Amino acid sequence: MKKIHPAVVAAQPFQVAERRPVDRLFADEEGKDRLEKALSRYPEKKAALLPMLAYAQERNGWLSPGAMEEIAEALDLTPAYVRSVATFYTMYAKRPVGRNWIQVCTCISCHLHGAEEVFEAFLEQTGTRAGEVSEDGEWTVIEAECLGACGFATVVQVNDRYFENVTPDTVPEVLAELATGRSEE
Amino acid sequence: MGYPHSHDLEVGTILSRHFGDPKARELKSWLTHGGYEGLKKAVGMEPSEISTVVKDSGLRGRGGAGFPTGLKWTFMPQEKKGPHYLCCNADESEPGAFKDREILRWTPHLLIEGCLIAARAIRAEHVYIYVRGEYFPFTSILNDAVVEAYDAGYIGEDILGSGWSCDLTVHIGAGAYIAGEETGLMSSLVGGRAEPRIKPPFPAQSGVFGRPTTVNNVETLAAVPMILVNGPSWYRQWGTEKSPGTKLWCCSGHLERPGNYELPLGIPLKDVIYDVCGGAPNGKKVKAVIPGGSSTAMLTADELDVETTYEGLQAAGSSLGTASPIVMDEDTNIVRATRRIADFYAHESCGQCVQCREGTAWVARILKRIEDGEGRLSDIDTLYDLCEQLTGRTICVLADSVVFPLRSSLDKFRDEYEALIGGRA
Amino acid sequence: MNARDNGTISLRIDGVDVAVDKGTTVIRAAEKAGIVVPHYCYHPGIPSRPAQCRMCLVEIEGQPKLQPSCVLEAQDGMVVLTESEKAREARRSVIEFLLLNHPLDCPICDAAGQCMLQDYAYETRQLKSRYQEAKLVLGRDRIADDILYFADRCILCTRCVRFMRDVAKDDALIVAQRGHKAYIDTFPGKDLDNAFRGNIVDVCPVGALVHEDFLLKARAWDMDHAPGICAGCSNGCNIEIDVKENQVVRVKPRFNPDVNAYWMCDLGRRHLVMANRGLRVDLPLIRRDGELEAVHWGEALAWLAENLPAGKGGAALVSPAESTESLFYLRGLLRQLGIEGGGYRLERGETAALPGFPSLTLRAERAPNAAGAEALGFREVDGPPTIGDGETLVVLGDALADAGPDYGAGAGFFLYVGSHDTEAARNATVVLPATTFAEQEGTFVSHEGRVQRFHQALRPPGVARPAWMSLSRLLAELGAGDAALDAAAAFGAVAGSVPAFSGLTWAGLGLKGARAGEPARAERGA
Repeated sequence: MKKIHPAVVAAQPFQVAERRPVDRLFADEEGKDRLEKALSRYPEKKAALLPMLAYAQERNGWLSPGAMEEIAEALDLTPAYVRSVATFYTMYAKRPVGRNWIQVCTCISCHLHGAEEVFEAFLEQTGTRAGEVSEDGEWTVIEAECLGACGFATVVQVNDRYFENVTPDTVPEVLAELATGRSEE
Repeated sequence: MGYPHSHDLEVGTILSRHFGDPKARELKSWLTHGGYEGLKKAVGMEPSEISTVVKDSGLRGRGGAGFPTGLKWTFMPQEKKGPHYLCCNADESEPGAFKDREILRWTPHLLIEGCLIAARAIRAEHVYIYVRGEYFPFTSILNDAVVEAYDAGYIGEDILGSGWSCDLTVHIGAGAYIAGEETGLMSSLVGGRAEPRIKPPFPAQSGVFGRPTTVNNVETLAAVPMILVNGPSWYRQWGTEKSPGTKLWCCSGHLERPGNYELPLGIPLKDVIYDVCGGAPNGKKVKAVIPGGSSTAMLTADELDVETTYEGLQAAGSSLGTASPIVMDEDTNIVRATRRIADFYAHESCGQCVQCREGTAWVARILKRIEDGEGRLSDIDTLYDLCEQLTGRTICVLADSVVFPLRSSLDKFRDEYEALIGGRA
Repeated sequence: MNARDNGTISLRIDGVDVAVDKGTTVIRAAEKAGIVVPHYCYHPGIPSRPAQCRMCLVEIEGQPKLQPSCVLEAQDGMVVLTESEKAREARRSVIEFLLLNHPLDCPICDAAGQCMLQDYAYETRQLKSRYQEAKLVLGRDRIADDILYFADRCILCTRCVRFMRDVAKDDALIVAQRGHKAYIDTFPGKDLDNAFRGNIVDVCPVGALVHEDFLLKARAWDMDHAPGICAGCSNGCNIEIDVKENQVVRVKPRFNPDVNAYWMCDLGRRHLVMANRGLRVDLPLIRRDGELEAVHWGEALAWLAENLPAGKGGAALVSPAESTESLFYLRGLLRQLGIEGGGYRLERGETAALPGFPSLTLRAERAPNAAGAEALGFREVDGPPTIGDGETLVVLGDALADAGPDYGAGAGFFLYVGSHDTEAARNATVVLPATTFAEQEGTFVSHEGRVQRFHQALRPPGVARPAWMSLSRLLAELGAGDAALDAAAAFGAVAGSVPAFSGLTWAGLGLKGARAGEPARAERGA
């Protein structure tokens, strides 16, 4: 179990390719540890909600209704409330996504550099439609709003990594690198 | 990830001196660069003394609003009746802005130090650094620095033997531009939807967990340590009376040399665009510049001879914002660009206020229809009217923000709209 | 305009000077001045005020930006303009935005005629759309067993969400998604299941939330409304009974700051709609030659006056759903018969308090006037009294539903004064048809001793009359009192002789009721 300093327990990457699915989030040592550490950083339980949603997605790759119910119980919230928070934010997957969640920025600065073509290239070369999971479970491609690397358009976020200066021509390179990551496991 | 570019302008790089040097960000190395000297000074000062130094320096909020930082700190209760909180706004999501990430990436300890000094100034005992969820690569660097700082005793109990204790938590978001709005950030931090709240109550009276809170931008806080060490007049050697200091610029769009540059405030905007960034590539002419991130009014190529200060850009009918110029060359379809900007606001509206929820989406749809060649002249009237309806009516200024690029594009590039509309009434 | 030491401030709203307590919001101050500022998300019964609908924006002299009056605190000397050009334009604009994707399905929407979107659209003259895009079409969803949500009509005022969270303290209804994709929903698989969920339909300003029981039943302008008291339990919630073509089609709460505020429970809503059903007794009946024969009132009362077994004793059973007046005159009759007191049966059920306003509690006693019965000397019994052969039995009200077909068959004299036809009732010697509480005026006494008036909502069947009317007539024929010609007179007789009601008058009860010993409520907006 990775040792996490409590000060940064609420700042862990949660879009990861290597999923470690678990039926009950807080039944094992790791889950208990995360929950306890998160709760220790805030005067109210509710504030541990985003960190716990992140943890659920880190383990399972998405936020299932069951995970939301478990988090609700752990934090004295209602499942409905947890759902209202989870559905507000774009980075929580409400449905399973591919191991590589490819998010192509098409906001203004990247748009000025032809980001839409990069997006189309990713769709074509992964053989998916926007938001869907490829047959082999590897890829999901979506458009994203500004990712904060505007000088280096087009910016693509894949899970917890940034790819910058991406063009339609360099898309195969990006995909190859991501695929390699898989084979190294 | 090319960085940093050099330029000829004389400036003691305050924030960016060590950008690009991965060694510098480790604590051991950072200390040799003067790390935590400001904090050492601050723990020997009274909170109000610290605020006064920062007030005198004229430092203004770098998150876009430009509010005097030292003054903002004095809004916190002088008498402590319970916990106070500092929130560092690292939710950088404004289209065009990519400066705070560089601070996280290269000088995390500088930010930590700035946070702690600010916390002392506002009598806080806990700092939350709210980083946008997407910034994983940079957050992990910040995380390492935070752990280093805790281990070395710069954060935690009895800091530097002063008797003062302060904790720090890094807390990441999950994808919402509106979590960068002060009250939206606070709503998100306490475990909710990032929905802005009405003011009053003001954060300094009741913020996170119902307690007095101050929210400051990353770049603002990063400037604080050196101001404390070197004094207010040192900071004022750059910039103007009303807009002192240096600024981290983020230049994007059609530029020869896009990227981050630390520049003194006050130089002409055209120098930034042409001298520093090399103008538009491939010999193209610049057609328009949005100077301060997407929530600021467009300027034409003829309007770039304006002083890069808060007051200068305001007088020019735009805004310094986050100093994030988005440059559009002569081949740019302005209507299309404006539509894409409107799409952003429509996606990011939290949905509380009727005008913003419905209005931003309506604006985007009208612009798309014009872009697709199915617009009418009456659409221009409607768009102008919507600029009125979206201004000054809502809880936060997201609605007002779409108006700046929209109205300026209509004012200054009406011919492009009319060309696409083709005379259809 | 000076601030006085006692915390009162004075401000001017649309040219009207009004004095209010410090801390009063501008919208409430305006209300006091007789001005209603249009609003959606604000609701006086829901504590949270997000100020997000932006409908209540008003102009404050000296301030450049319009301010939401639902949260703006009135200041001494403030000058408020709710109808300035700026304020009106802002309001018109909100309506325009709300109507952009609105389906405009008023012809098939239950809210038509009682819809705050319609009302303000007309008020702001925002009747023409310049929207040229295709409307976004969302669906309809079952939010609870009996409540439907029409997402297209929703204006996202979040009153429903906040009622559940802040008043019902059951955070089960939420806003999902954000921006123009937002909608109201529950957790998947967990429909709303709360004893007070019906209130979300009442607070919905438009037709986004509708009761399935009311769906497409009646237009707002087809309904008559009567102020009533809920007869589902002993809490005494004030209600409004909505009637179309002599059927109760809907029940809504009526505001009473001391009993139920703006709310009522779902059991109460369902309860009265059931008042429409059942076999009724609608004509006086006298047993002749072993069969019950229909007669006219005059004949029935004359026969009774002549043939009542006076002074012989017996047993009596009353329903705790009968009005105080009816119970009073029955007591009078029982005394003529030599019967002292009588019993009432009381059904009990689970209680449920509304956490945000606990005076509103679904009480265990599932009858509206057990307290009134007690005050008149009736006592709770477990079952219908056993009747010896040849004994006298008097029953008032619908108390024999489960008594069995032979009950009362052996009585010497069995008087049934009631509304419903049951097997046991058919053993009566005389049946006097009575109106239900929905078909008459009268009073109920709530669990805390509050005497409250209820009013007629339905026309009675046949020639049924309020029991207090026929019984007081009978007593008059027996020379034992005056016939009560109206409910006020009947109540006057009660207050005149029953200590528990002394000092109260029918007029003084007004529409909010009173407790014996409390001053008249006329000044509280009866």
